[in-house]
Amino acid sequence: MGIADVIIAAVIVAGACYILYATLWRKKGCCGCEGGSCCKK
Amino acid sequence: MSTQLKLKDEEVQGEVSGQSAEARVITVAVAGNPNSGKSTLINAIAGTRLHVGNWAGVTVEKKEALFDFGGRKIRLVDLPGTYSLSPYSQEEIVARDYLVHQRPDLIINVVDATNLERNLYLTVQVMELGIPVVMALNIYDEAQEKGYRIDTAGIQQMLGIAVVPTSATKKTGLDELLGTVLHVVDAPNLRVPKRLNYGEDIELASDYLAKTFQISYPALLQRYPQRWLLLKLMEQDSHVMKELGLDNLAFLDQALHHLRRAHGEDVESIMADARYSLASGLTREVLQKPELRQTELTEKIDKIVLNRFLGIPIFMAAMWLLFKLTFDLSAPFGKWIGAMTDGPFKRWASAILTPLGAPDWTVSLVNDGVIAGVGSVLVFVPVIFAMMFFITFLEGSGYMARAAFVMDRTMHSIGLHGKSFIPMLLGFGCNVPGIYATRTLENPKDKVLTALLVPLMSCGARLPVYVLFVGIFFPKNSSTVIWSLYVMGILLAVVMGLVFKRTLFRGEAPMFIMELPPYRMPSLHSLCVHTWEKGKHFLFKAGTYIFAVSVLVWFMLNLPWGVEHKRDSYLGQAGAAIAPVFEPVGFGNWEAASSLITGVIAKEIVVGTMGEIYAPKKDEKKGVPSLREDLKEVATTFGEACVKAVKTLLYLPQAEEKEEDRGGLNLAIQGAFTPLTAYAFMAFVLLYMPCVVAIAAMRQEFGTWKWAGVGLLYQTALAWTAALIIYQGGKLLGLGG
Repeated sequence: MGIADVIIAAVIVAGACYILYATLWRKKGCCGCEGGSCCKK
Repeated sequence: MSTQLKLKDEEVQGEVSGQSAEARVITVAVAGNPNSGKSTLINAIAGTRLHVGNWAGVTVEKKEALFDFGGRKIRLVDLPGTYSLSPYSQEEIVARDYLVHQRPDLIINVVDATNLERNLYLTVQVMELGIPVVMALNIYDEAQEKGYRIDTAGIQQMLGIAVVPTSATKKTGLDELLGTVLHVVDAPNLRVPKRLNYGEDIELASDYLAKTFQISYPALLQRYPQRWLLLKLMEQDSHVMKELGLDNLAFLDQALHHLRRAHGEDVESIMADARYSLASGLTREVLQKPELRQTELTEKIDKIVLNRFLGIPIFMAAMWLLFKLTFDLSAPFGKWIGAMTDGPFKRWASAILTPLGAPDWTVSLVNDGVIAGVGSVLVFVPVIFAMMFFITFLEGSGYMARAAFVMDRTMHSIGLHGKSFIPMLLGFGCNVPGIYATRTLENPKDKVLTALLVPLMSCGARLPVYVLFVGIFFPKNSSTVIWSLYVMGILLAVVMGLVFKRTLFRGEAPMFIMELPPYRMPSLHSLCVHTWEKGKHFLFKAGTYIFAVSVLVWFMLNLPWGVEHKRDSYLGQAGAAIAPVFEPVGFGNWEAASSLITGVIAKEIVVGTMGEIYAPKKDEKKGVPSLREDLKEVATTFGEACVKAVKTLLYLPQAEEKEEDRGGLNLAIQGAFTPLTAYAFMAFVLLYMPCVVAIAAMRQEFGTWKWAGVGLLYQTALAWTAALIIYQGGKLLGLGG
């Protein structure tokens, strides 16, 4: 596994973690809306 | 409908002074009782393009739509369904605060024409706000079918508001309603809601208070609707008093002195009586019911459905039929999606990535990670949508309210009342809205206890696990086995309710009057809209965190890099570390344990992880079909699935399923489980700790980790105990091992 593979793998893992963070964790702070209106306040 | 809907937030910003009447956005709030057809009306006007969000700071759903009608822009704001504007539930507070503080240009008051008197109570309260009102006399067609004669002109004359008969399900009267809205907005003085007379004593007190207030607090009378403010002060509405910073007003006691002496101390009840009297009197004036009518269909059905002895068996039978229809109808389509993700999709992904020079491991990541993981969950989308469709049908038909009613007695035994069963019923779709729905309960103790029991209701996310295992081990009795798991969840909720009632939540269950709407045949459009609203959540999850977890699981199954056997990967090692815990319950293998670890994110990920763990090796011997052959396969197998679904539904004979139709995942699971351990595993998945979103919802709802922690611990302990009893009990009974 070359350095390019490691970088690609790291980017993919970071992207997956970000999706998890954005859909599960970050949402927890707001009131659970999907429209986003309440998150703007 | 000639409406052209546009849903752009920035257009709402155009609502500024100085614009022409045509350019101004007209804000219309829609208020009405639950079951008055308000949601159907909004959906009929705005379709599926409603902007769905939440009211600021609370988890009560807010729907908005911005659209053009008659060359004007109208912003429709759907208020929560309420019976009154008293501050007793979150919905009532939200609706009231919006009307008082945001002051929409007009209120559409949706009134159920078949329940006029009860609905008019809210109308009377809405009129206190001094905002132009148009009454949508909804479900008018049913009222006419029942022989009701409603004098709409009489209502207009007595209340001073425009009245438009509508039928949201048949989409009649909607253009007239919106036309009347524009007419009233343009000429508000022509349609001023009348000041209703609440009786001499109340009006005298109100006049006295108005005079005193104009001297002492003139600014408040500018900020709030005067009539509403004075009535709220007389009721000594704690919410309003707190908001205004008023307390112990001497002149208020003077104003209420005569009222109290004449009618008693409880001024709030006096006011409520006055409003009910108005609603009742008005109904007597404008409504004529047929003198002698036959027992209505609703009453006839209720005599059977709500029968003391038959009620619960009928509910159980209805649930069984629901599962039967769901699985018979959806199974062929699920298999079709499975065949597509296993075959053509993987081939197409390889065909795209390989010529691009992508490394082999990325091709494996896409095929064995993303497509195997997400695909394993997508297989169950038809099941979930079919189930949501039938649940929506039962809700829309009015049966679900009966189900809550027949469960009322059982609920009382665990210290709750039938209203708590409604969040639990919602929990069958998804536990998260079920937990949020506990907001409709007034008593904080009821809220927490109900929220703790909601996760025992088997949500749609558990279905993929059941369907997978039942399809392998109980193909002949699939509906019955899955039904038994749902019943297990309900029975354990009763047991845990009893335990909690005797430990953490001692006390009597409060009384509650439950409304039973008449039976109705829901429209196909309404069914489709609500099914989509319930089911889209699963598609969203598949595209976001199931996708992300599939990627991470693939890495965890392939790290350390070059690992030969998945058992030695990081996920395999984690699974193997906790597998001994599951030894006594029958599934102490690392594959099951690893799936349960990732299933904490969302229960359907159990299946996705198994899909990746048991991903079959590539069969190099098989020839690779061309794109044309693949597309032909996609189309023909879909056609076969449709035919099979229809045949199953009509009980027509079908060809035996070929053994080679079974995928590699099924065969691998068949090797790792027995029917007994499979059932224990399904029971464990049903009961073990709620998913992270449900835990976050509990944390958010109760402002503390305490109850989320209690839920997490007791459910996991309960799951392990139940699986132990099933496995060890089954072995003792000679059901295998």
